[in-house]
Amino acid sequence: MALDPVLNSKILEMGRLIFADLGDTDPSLLDPRYLNSLLMRWSMSQPEFKVNLFRLVDVLPTLQSNEAIAEHVREYLIPPAHKMHPALGWFISLCKNPLLANVAALMVKQGVKQMASMFIAGESPTSALPVLQRLRSERYSFTVDLLGEFCVCEKEAKEYQDRYLDAIETFGSTIPSWKEGRPIIEGHPGEISPVCVSVKLSALYSQTNVLNFERSVSVLSERLAEIAQRVKKQGALMYVDAEDSGNNSIIYEAFKRVFGSQEFLDIPYPGIVIQAYAKNSEARVDEMLTFARERGAPIAIRLVKGAYWDFERVVSSQNDWEFPLWKKKQSSDAHYEYLSRKLLDNRALCLPAFGSHNIRSLSHACCYAESIGLSKKDFEIQVLYGMAEPIAKAFMNRGYLVRMYVPLGELLPGMGYLVRRLLENTSNESFLRHTFFDEDEVSTLLKEPHLQPEDGALPPQAAELAIHNEAPVNAEQIHHAS
Amino acid sequence: MPHQHPFRNEPLLDFSEEQNRASVQAGLREVENRITKGSFYARPIINGEELRSGDTFARTDPSDQSTTVGVVEFADIKMAERAVATCAEGFPAWRATPVEQRAIALNRMASIMRERKSLLTAIMIREVGKTWREADADVAEAIDFCDYYAAEMRRISPPRLTEQVMGEENHYLYQPRGVTVVIAPWNFPLAIACGMAVAALVAGNPVILKPAEQSSLIGNQLARIILEAGVPKDAFAFLPGKGEEVGPYLTGHPQVSMIVFTGSRPVGLSIVESAAKVPPGQRMIKKVVAELGGKNAIIVDEDADFDDAVRGVLSSAFGFAGQKCSACSRLIVVGSAYEPFIQRLAAATQDLIVGNASDPSSFLGPVVDEEAHKRITSTISSASTQLTLLAQAKVPAEIFQRGNFVPPTIFRDVPSSHPIWTDEIFGPVVACAQARDFDHALRLATSSEYALTGGVFSRHPQNLAKAKEEFRVGNLYINRGITGALVGRQPFGGFLMSGIGSKAGGPDYLLQFMEPRVVTENTMRRGFSPDIA
Repeated sequence: MALDPVLNSKILEMGRLIFADLGDTDPSLLDPRYLNSLLMRWSMSQPEFKVNLFRLVDVLPTLQSNEAIAEHVREYLIPPAHKMHPALGWFISLCKNPLLANVAALMVKQGVKQMASMFIAGESPTSALPVLQRLRSERYSFTVDLLGEFCVCEKEAKEYQDRYLDAIETFGSTIPSWKEGRPIIEGHPGEISPVCVSVKLSALYSQTNVLNFERSVSVLSERLAEIAQRVKKQGALMYVDAEDSGNNSIIYEAFKRVFGSQEFLDIPYPGIVIQAYAKNSEARVDEMLTFARERGAPIAIRLVKGAYWDFERVVSSQNDWEFPLWKKKQSSDAHYEYLSRKLLDNRALCLPAFGSHNIRSLSHACCYAESIGLSKKDFEIQVLYGMAEPIAKAFMNRGYLVRMYVPLGELLPGMGYLVRRLLENTSNESFLRHTFFDEDEVSTLLKEPHLQPEDGALPPQAAELAIHNEAPVNAEQIHHAS
Repeated sequence: MPHQHPFRNEPLLDFSEEQNRASVQAGLREVENRITKGSFYARPIINGEELRSGDTFARTDPSDQSTTVGVVEFADIKMAERAVATCAEGFPAWRATPVEQRAIALNRMASIMRERKSLLTAIMIREVGKTWREADADVAEAIDFCDYYAAEMRRISPPRLTEQVMGEENHYLYQPRGVTVVIAPWNFPLAIACGMAVAALVAGNPVILKPAEQSSLIGNQLARIILEAGVPKDAFAFLPGKGEEVGPYLTGHPQVSMIVFTGSRPVGLSIVESAAKVPPGQRMIKKVVAELGGKNAIIVDEDADFDDAVRGVLSSAFGFAGQKCSACSRLIVVGSAYEPFIQRLAAATQDLIVGNASDPSSFLGPVVDEEAHKRITSTISSASTQLTLLAQAKVPAEIFQRGNFVPPTIFRDVPSSHPIWTDEIFGPVVACAQARDFDHALRLATSSEYALTGGVFSRHPQNLAKAKEEFRVGNLYINRGITGALVGRQPFGGFLMSGIGSKAGGPDYLLQFMEPRVVTENTMRRGFSPDIA
């Protein structure tokens, strides 16, 4: 499978322009975030230290006393002497001194809080309002996600649901009346309302479990319906997030049950998420498009690569199950582009939302949309809050609707989310950590991805043939979409 | 060329796949059909013949006492005698059977069980009240034992030279012990029965398998599979029977060489005692391998991840209604974590789904029989007068009346002298206590008479290091549940009063079923040595 060369050169051109824009948005030395990014950059060069640092970050919010914090810092962060960063050495000696341990603990707490505030907009809906207002004034749309602990009982499930109901109410009663509440792009379906939430469905029922399938689907549908009622009342938008492959079959089923019902047919563009890294993601796309057709009203589909790759790898490896995802990142990228085209081709059935920080993937979606005659109002781009602002800005400036996925919640349940973000920011494959790209890097990052041999790619000859075979199909699809 | 089977664990079913849920459902329908027709039974099998004794016992479904799953015919003493005699006669031929042939029989058993997985799973769901996941894991473990011990026997059996020395060959080799009596429990009615039996068989010992009364129907399936796979009829006998009758007769028999037992501590100790006696006509000293239970503790440290710890405790304590030797029955929470943790655990416990084992949504089903129900219920009610109840799950009334259901129950602030803290209850009951600090927690955890499994939830590097060193139990689990050991990956077994013998599913297990011999041959004749010429 290879793209039309004309389209591909347009993608490269757009990608280069975006990359060029990033250079202008280097974090300033005066930015408090600079220190954290310095620490993260240094830790990347020390893989062992990185693991320990992240484990420390993970445990911190549970620690009650300053003493305990100082003790954990000492135990996690003592690296071999020759690898010791001077600032760190000084800091650990602080932790060893019982008189200064309190000070050290406070510094750590502050540091982690600050790190968390880069990715988490606030503890409660009300406390997040200023951040949301700033985002909208900067012409970003948002969707809010409520971070929660793993739900172990019905009391917790209920509290979690109440938090959603409350958030929708709080946002619905304030944001539309702001001057920033007006549509960023007039007539864009993603701006029907400035209020949007993303729901982590499985946490609404404590006994969510694939073996408890029927009951899980019916209880979750009921509870999702209560949230949908509130969304409907406020005229807001909503997405149901995807999770691990164990829960996803329950989630998709509940989504269809709720938004296929008569009561919610008038909710515009109820959103669902599809993870392109899953081998069955094309089947999911088909399932959702069929659903939208039967529903008689379009849905929104956020296409992401997927965030549970490591978890799924561990689970499938420990159980000796077939790995349900693409093994290679490039395969996910290739599949992402393939599904992007499919979603755009079916614009009549869905509003595609491209959730990615990958400039190539996003440029591909934008250029393909244009090539089949769609406008910038026919899709949107979604990024994680705090993760890729320069990229978001570059697309926003070009007139695309960019929606930030904004998590809210307390530090303790937020830690899992924070550690995942830190891992992404410091992974070798991530280009988020870069502030400057040379020409070679840009070319590599913008290269067309292909399904890799490990993931069952076609041999080269067959791939050549596929180009020719694909052409008429594309033409037909273009026709269909326009 | 012998078959090479590198060992690989049989995967558990991924129930997020619809076809896997459907396969268990199909198994349950088939079993329901056979139950309706009254076609399930277990009868003694000696020398390949199925025998009738007239002494029968109707096994009812613990989830629904009004349903008879099948009828068990108990062997009498005469049959036990015949079984020993037949197996003693069959011993020389089975011993002489090439190892590869014995190993292939085990691999064949594994294949048959794979084919019949949904049936075997469904039988256990109905006969002993295992939930879907537990029953599937039981079949997978049985398959693992077959493939693992087959691979192990191939590895161990070739005679090996002890040292290279000129003019002499020193061969180290193993021989089987003789007639082996396997007394199996009902809690892993397929896996443990199968593991003990096939270990003995592959090593060259004839086996007399006595299943537990409560699980003779699945035992009967196992017996048939053993014979079908090619184990000669005079090398294997199946003797369903009353433990207190046939058991002592078999273990005291002079022609029995070895007893392999998994079950309660008093019975285990009485077997050890009787095995030490040498009746007239007995030529060898009996060997006993016994796995006897536990009073396993999980420690939750102050810095533990509560999300993980709550789930870990729930599954370890209440999976299969706590009827696993590895189950968690004591919970020790360190310092300030005590109150918040047990409150969260209590809330989670109250919402667990207790239901019919056939219903896939049940987190746990019933306990095994009325007797167990009565014993556990009375333990709970007498403890309730002395201790504070922290939490108890609800059992829907219509379900409760039908079967032997005991709601998951947790007591708080349990003193370490209380029987709830010290004695194995073998039911869904947890005793919890607060420790002053981590060292105190370790002392509380290890002061038990048992030493089978244990667990720690902590993110404190020094405490974890200390636990690895000082939390001395057979299987220690860190930051995960403490049940579900996998054959080969987590060889299973404990010490102190938890048993004697080495770990099941581990590299030393088969050695217990054999005696080592050394053959030394002088290869130099008249100054001529083949290794120099």
